[in-house]
Amino acid sequence: MDLINIVATLIKIILLFAISLTAVAFCTWLERRGAAWIQGRRGPCRVGPFGLLQPVADGIKFFFKESFVPEKSNKFFYLAAPILTLTIPFLAMVSIPFAENLYILNHEIPMRIARFDSGILLVIAFTGLEVYPVMIGGWASNNKFSVLGSLRAASQMIAYEISMGLALLSMILVYGTFDMNEMVRFQEKWMWGCFINPIAALIFWFSIFAETNRLPCDIPEGESEIVAGYHLEYGAMKFALFFMSEYVAMIMASALIATLFFGGYSLLPGFSLVEKGIVALFSIRSEIVNHNLFIIFQLLSIFLKIAFFMFVFIWVRWTLPRFRFDQLMDLGWKILFPLALANVLLMGIVSYFFIYR
Amino acid sequence: MVTKTLNVSRKHEIKEKFYLIAVLQGMWITLKYFCRGFFLWKSYTINYPEEKRNYSQRFRGMHFISYDENKIENCTACYLCQTVCPAECITIIAEERDPLKNPSGVWKEKKPKSFDIDALRCCFCGMCEESCPKDAIKLSRNYELATRTREQAIYNLDHLKREVKGRG
Amino acid sequence: MSFNNQNIVVNKRRMYINYCSDKKPLENLEDQENLENQENQENQKNRPLKNKINIDGKEIEFLPGDTIMQAAERGGIAHKIPRYCYHPGLPIAGSCRMCNVEIEKASKLMTACSTPASNGMVVHTNTSKVQKACTGVMEFLLTNHPLDCPVCDQAGECELQEYNYEYGPGTSRFSETKRVFTNATTKRLSDKITLNMNRCINCERCIRFEETITKSYELVMLNRSWEKELTLSNYESDENDKDDEDKMPTKGLTSSYQGCLADICPVGALTFNDFRFQKRVWFLNRQPSICDACSKGCNIEVHFENDIIYRYTPIFNEKVNRHWMCDRGRISYHDVEDSGRITMPFMNTIDSHLHSVEWMTVLSYLKSTLAIAKKVLIILGTDSTCEEAKLFINRIPSLSKGEVKVCFYNGTGDVSSSKDDEKIDYLLQMKDQTANTKGLELLGIPPLETSYVPDSTDNTDSTDSDVVIYFRSGRAGVGGRGGLELKLKSSASLFLWGVFYKKELDKAALKQIVAIIPGLMTVEKSGTFINCDSLSQSFTSAITHKGAALPADVIFQIMILENRSAIRS
Repeated sequence: MDLINIVATLIKIILLFAISLTAVAFCTWLERRGAAWIQGRRGPCRVGPFGLLQPVADGIKFFFKESFVPEKSNKFFYLAAPILTLTIPFLAMVSIPFAENLYILNHEIPMRIARFDSGILLVIAFTGLEVYPVMIGGWASNNKFSVLGSLRAASQMIAYEISMGLALLSMILVYGTFDMNEMVRFQEKWMWGCFINPIAALIFWFSIFAETNRLPCDIPEGESEIVAGYHLEYGAMKFALFFMSEYVAMIMASALIATLFFGGYSLLPGFSLVEKGIVALFSIRSEIVNHNLFIIFQLLSIFLKIAFFMFVFIWVRWTLPRFRFDQLMDLGWKILFPLALANVLLMGIVSYFFIYR
Repeated sequence: MVTKTLNVSRKHEIKEKFYLIAVLQGMWITLKYFCRGFFLWKSYTINYPEEKRNYSQRFRGMHFISYDENKIENCTACYLCQTVCPAECITIIAEERDPLKNPSGVWKEKKPKSFDIDALRCCFCGMCEESCPKDAIKLSRNYELATRTREQAIYNLDHLKREVKGRG
Repeated sequence: MSFNNQNIVVNKRRMYINYCSDKKPLENLEDQENLENQENQENQKNRPLKNKINIDGKEIEFLPGDTIMQAAERGGIAHKIPRYCYHPGLPIAGSCRMCNVEIEKASKLMTACSTPASNGMVVHTNTSKVQKACTGVMEFLLTNHPLDCPVCDQAGECELQEYNYEYGPGTSRFSETKRVFTNATTKRLSDKITLNMNRCINCERCIRFEETITKSYELVMLNRSWEKELTLSNYESDENDKDDEDKMPTKGLTSSYQGCLADICPVGALTFNDFRFQKRVWFLNRQPSICDACSKGCNIEVHFENDIIYRYTPIFNEKVNRHWMCDRGRISYHDVEDSGRITMPFMNTIDSHLHSVEWMTVLSYLKSTLAIAKKVLIILGTDSTCEEAKLFINRIPSLSKGEVKVCFYNGTGDVSSSKDDEKIDYLLQMKDQTANTKGLELLGIPPLETSYVPDSTDNTDSTDSDVVIYFRSGRAGVGGRGGLELKLKSSASLFLWGVFYKKELDKAALKQIVAIIPGLMTVEKSGTFINCDSLSQSFTSAITHKGAALPADVIFQIMILENRSAIRS
């Protein structure tokens, strides 16, 4: 690894942070504005044009609020939880490819931060870690509501992690690889994974809701029962970190779904025509420039896909009512888990007889 | 004692049991509303302080006390509104008007020394307005009565005399 | 006896005082008839011939010389006949024509107040003819009456309102401008009475009152008809403009019964300044009591709202005050409402300043002081009730083993016992300004020895009591010599018990006062007064106690039984 690769990696990390956090800010705006539109209201429209600066105002407010630590809490874990909760979704994003390799100055730069051949395992590992900051935060606050909230979160996340893992397993059976780049190429060649394996797509999609604690599965929070749940004792910027981590996890989940089931960075229908049109229009001869242009369109494709899934997250949240806890557990253990198991068996048969024959 | 339990739960068909269709129907409805807000910029609420809804001419809001051309209130402290008030929110203390500051003469020899309306107790029934023999107390269409403290919601004579856009 | 509640059925809305009369039923006819039917016929034969009149189907017996109205009063149905100029305590004028009644075999309607009743007369008070006449009179009275009931203080107890509600036409055909007296709309007849001539209906009750009851002849009617105006008769005699009738008099009304003018005025023409614009009468609760401003013991009605007294009005009592009441008694309620009245227990500390203390502190101190005292002197103000005097006589010896001496002290003016008491005017007012001097004397309590009184010439040293308790309820020793300046032994400790005022304490000998125990005024307590004519009158409390004050019997109960539950916070 030479210097340019190190610099490129650093730039990629910074870009990932910048783009993700900007997207988080935009998502909070869209969350509130979208809720208002769906409910026939106006939503935040005072700060900036269309209320777009509302996240900035929120951020300023978070910074200037009193940052306190509860007296009888476990100080170390109390402070560690918000840091962990934001770090883990970012780490999970490390191995997701956003495009094919880019060529700059005769150097091949992969459009993902870390090149793992078995990237999907890393993703599973880090999503599995997401339950820890919730547990730590709830326990360290020394508040019974926080503990109850974190218990609920833990049981729910663990329950759905199994069906999510099994859905992933079925897709690995289909793609025959752990490398996410290979998965995308497979989908480019054949068809999007959601058409090959719609049941897994549905199971995965629903499990993601439970994993990210979004409505209809926001059992860890509940104003009428346990106030704010596991982040009850967190205020100011520490709460903001929990708040942001939810959106970062959503972005990560959207990217994962897009990669696994919706063709990843493969171009959206019609994009290849536009790309070819541009090449013809400007009569680009250079092979490298042509390739890099192609990659820009790939980036555009995956960003649009992620944005769409972010919208779906918000859309679902303001449409569906929340589950009762027993209903949620019933759904996880009694329906999704057997279904996912059967689906793995089915996909094994399908892939053995139809794909890798 | 024998109790009979009647099970009224509805049998769901398989189509209904598979909630995904119902979910998608709901999603379609919310999507329509989202687009209505996003593209057509329509909403049922208004930007309140800038825009205000048009209330009926008969709306009964905060009271005011009318006065004559000499800026002397028409109220003669007859206590009829205090008597008729079902919420007992009006408190009047009467006194004799200083003859030197009384251009209206004997017709306004009695005046309210204090005239307090507790807007928190008031039920805006308008019976004070009906009972007033001098048309002094009236109900305006002002409905913006928010105050910072409870004490501020007890309006005195000076406040009630301030000109209010009324209906009478 | 308690109140003289005669069997007068008066519409509750109407004011009592103008409808009570001393014309009593001669005997109960119905009982007599039953007796006759059941027993023998002889009684009927032996029964002397009596004058009988039939009013609205009721047979009423009357004395010769009675008018129809007075006969109706004997029958207890006088409230059926409306009236303005007629007043039971005043001579008959017959000027308002409101009391029209229909008499059978008489072609015209007659005025009930001035037509003499005769035997066998049959009178109807509520025929359509009578009602039509009343409606006409009402319409006529209302032509010039300003409809300023919102401002008028009489509204709510106004006879014009009452009868207009009952008989009035509802509409007026009078479309001309109403008469306005520019100089007599709000005219001070004195510092107590205000005249509003526009409201006057010329019943002349006030003039007859001045002529016959107070005999001061201070009010006259000037002019006639449309311009008829009530004025003072004592004009300033100015040579230059003799013809100027509207000139203000040098002095207004001087009689001490001016409040009665406002009482008897059927409309709001004459109003009492002390009550003017203070309260609308329909808010007032009413409770009978006894006036304690002099030894006459006038029957009064306490008008109050939320335990704040707004006025006293007289109640009719034939044997005491009839319909009247003096102005001094009428405004004496200010003493109850006085902001300087001490209503918390106070104790004198080492720095000779009075400090507010808890009830139990002062009462346990009083108890311990009494227990070790050798000679106890109890000075009862002559305004305390007979019950309180008995309490002190009976209870103090059980608290103190020493020699207990009880005596009463008047301290108002030159009066020291009821022998000095005398009338100071022609009607009601007495020299003794406390209510119960006679009662304490009848209980056998001796008057205070003259050596205690500050300005006495008797200098014999008999003031050797250790503990002196001075009990009064706000009247005794207030005027005149100042009751707090008693000559006492310097080591004696003085307990003040009852109603005291802060302004009195400034000049009092603070060193002598050990504690002040707040007590009740007459209107706050129940008891019995015996007035100057040896008439015993009981009364119950009208309003709740001010502040933390407690009745004397409760205080004794606390001290003897250690019963703390009676103490209010």
